[in-house]
Amino acid sequence: MRTKIFSIIIIILSALCICACSQPAQKDKADSAPAITHCEPLTEIKDGRKNIYLIVKVIDSNYWQVIINGAKAAGEELDCNVYYCGTNIETDWKGQHLLVDEVLAKNPDAVILAPNDSVELASDIDKVHAMGIPIVLIDTAANTESFDICYMTDNLLAGQNAAEEMISQLRQAGYSGNDNVSVGILVGYAQSMTINERLAGFYQYWSNHAPEKWIVISDIMNCNGDFELGKKITAEFLIQHPELNGLYGTNNTPARALGATIKKENRTDITVVAFDYSDEIKTLVESPDYRVSTILQRQYDMGYSAVQSTLDILDGNTPSIKFKDTGVVTVNKDTLSDPLIREVIEHN
Amino acid sequence: MNNTRSKDNNIGQDIQLIKGGRSFFMTLIICLAVFLGATGVLILAFNRLISRHDQYLSSEICTIMSEKMNSSIESMTEAADDMASMLSAQNYESPEDIYAAIKNNVKSDYLSAGFIDETGEKYATEEEIAEFNKWELLKTAALADPVSMSAPYRSSVYGQPVITMFTNFEYDNGRNGYMFITYTFKELQKVAVTESLENDVEIWLMNAESGNIIQCAGPDEHAIGNWTNAYLSMKSINEKDIPTFTAWLERIRHLENNIGITYSLDNTFYSQHCSCIKSMPGWYVVVRIPSNTLSATMHKFRNYVISFLAVLLVVVIVLIANMYRISKRDNELLERLSTHDPLTGVLNRRAFNIAAGKWILRKKDSALIFVDLDYFKQVNDQYGHNFGDKVLVAFSDALKKNFSDSSIISRFGGDEFVVITEMNSVEDITSRMRQIEKDVSDITLTKDNNEQINYSISFSSGAARFPYDADNLPLLMKMADNALYEVKERGRNGSLWYADLAVDEDDPT
Repeated sequence: MRTKIFSIIIIILSALCICACSQPAQKDKADSAPAITHCEPLTEIKDGRKNIYLIVKVIDSNYWQVIINGAKAAGEELDCNVYYCGTNIETDWKGQHLLVDEVLAKNPDAVILAPNDSVELASDIDKVHAMGIPIVLIDTAANTESFDICYMTDNLLAGQNAAEEMISQLRQAGYSGNDNVSVGILVGYAQSMTINERLAGFYQYWSNHAPEKWIVISDIMNCNGDFELGKKITAEFLIQHPELNGLYGTNNTPARALGATIKKENRTDITVVAFDYSDEIKTLVESPDYRVSTILQRQYDMGYSAVQSTLDILDGNTPSIKFKDTGVVTVNKDTLSDPLIREVIEHN
Repeated sequence: MNNTRSKDNNIGQDIQLIKGGRSFFMTLIICLAVFLGATGVLILAFNRLISRHDQYLSSEICTIMSEKMNSSIESMTEAADDMASMLSAQNYESPEDIYAAIKNNVKSDYLSAGFIDETGEKYATEEEIAEFNKWELLKTAALADPVSMSAPYRSSVYGQPVITMFTNFEYDNGRNGYMFITYTFKELQKVAVTESLENDVEIWLMNAESGNIIQCAGPDEHAIGNWTNAYLSMKSINEKDIPTFTAWLERIRHLENNIGITYSLDNTFYSQHCSCIKSMPGWYVVVRIPSNTLSATMHKFRNYVISFLAVLLVVVIVLIANMYRISKRDNELLERLSTHDPLTGVLNRRAFNIAAGKWILRKKDSALIFVDLDYFKQVNDQYGHNFGDKVLVAFSDALKKNFSDSSIISRFGGDEFVVITEMNSVEDITSRMRQIEKDVSDITLTKDNNEQINYSISFSSGAARFPYDADNLPLLMKMADNALYEVKERGRNGSLWYADLAVDEDDPT
């Protein structure tokens, strides 16, 4: 009897084995649930005014707070109700997807969106547009034409500016075309259109303008939006590349990681070009010991102009262009006291 | 205790003259294991074959696609050059006239078009002129020989990635300018896309020096125009393929043409091929295709084969199990026939010898009893053989009834039975024999003519004890037989223990 049971088990296992051989195991791709901040009033809410909803990338961030401030100022000055919401992680496009649905359920007059992912959020933008609701993008474009206008930094150009600044600062540091110079790059997220354009712009300018002996190390670091990870891999990178002369951080988180690591390791010999005006970068830019520059976007203008533009569209005006480069300023020790730069820094 | 008894009861039934049950299952398991092993090897070999085939084929497709894309771009540039030549042949004198002529002749699928005269002055809209300054497009125009294309950039007017193409334009008797045409990056998707592999092939433009990549075509239409960098995306491929990928990028940096590579990414195998774009110095068309696209059909076929094998296996197993069941039933029947007396159902002599041999090995106190029906020949002669058979059956039933526990009963010869049984005491065995005497002393049997008669069976028996009288079976049987013989000598219809026989022989009286 036992032999029979054993045989039956063998037969069942055989059939299962054969079936298992035919198909590779499927990976469970389920992601953890996103953390989002639901819609809150940004301005005083009054009846009879247009309701504009702003969806930002990251709520708890200095950079995004400046954009929110710009939108709030516009809402108060231009007499409309502005609500805002966002995610807690810059890569959380699923959270934004939920927020778009939440906003649409509130019958908005217009939507302002800073897409966390240019590809994944494209269909959400298409959906809003198809409902006849004006949609204005800020900070990051999306791979769709279904938006009314986009206010953002031309990141390809901003990347070129960063490369130009890096070359300029390295020359000021005393390096000539005959010297071997190497530069490392830390990106925040490999799937971000903004970051990829800044990277592409940097590479493009560097390959066209840097001396032949000046190279970008092909081992590009990626911290995936994680500050602590960014510090760790930067520290390891400094050990692996003792010859390093420059570091480029493509956005806020890697810029902070570069700034914190450079300061911790006291690497005053390394030139840093970064983005945004985080505390870590601000300290180094203002310090006489470090050679650190940063590219600042005019994000206050993005927030303000986006609200202004939605009201124009709601008034029946069609924007003459689809893409407005809000421009950048380069901040370093030489330009720190420039009034124009000071104004942008004040907003940051 | 019950289990022990039950096991002992089966001693007589356990005799297997035809063996093979266990070995059959072992053979079945071994065959199954061999079958599974062979099937596994077959699947692995099939997968490897598909993989090699796909790698080769996808590489070839990539090469063809990149050449197709490249020649499509060439066609676009040639068309622009032809239009410039055609307009140039009109020999316009003023740039304004040329600009107007260009605007009139440009096809609707272009976003914008304009003219740059010999001094570098641009004849275009304000927004377009702003783009020229922003992206230093005059540098690209200077590369036209006779056509050049800019790197992709985002148009302020359209908000989308665009490319501007420049062609040399001769006007006003020998002056040289440029005609430019700007079109969306999606125009490239139109020339790149193929219906058959639309959802699988990815096509990019890549800058050799920087490794910058922009997508022209792919399964996700929203990803068209997306920038990335080969050095960054390289980090996500299979680690063992990174050195090959790095070498591939290095060859591109050295402007080698028509270079292919294969690598794995997220458990998918990709073939990738690139070729130079003549009108965009330093830029390549890169085509990538996942090899599993091609193998999808083959995988279906493989799954059909596996399903067929699985069904075949089940059918064969069911068939074998059925055959085994029939064979086992026949064997059991044969075995029973070969071990049991067909009339009484007790063991035959041969089977008894085997079973008793095993019994002795248990070394338990036992009694072996030879029983002989008295004057049985006369029964046959008087009542016939059928009646005699009924007597034998009735007697064997009495034996079974009284020695059903822990005993082996056998019809040893015509009217001779032998029993070997566990012995708690001589008295117990004697008591059972007395009970048998009672049981068969008055039985009712039916004659051939259906007449029922009361019949009394008498028998003689001789018994010996194991291990007291003998410690081996032949001797034990001999002693029991001696005791039986003595009973017969004394006039039959009685019982005697061999031990008593020895005492009697020693007794001088």
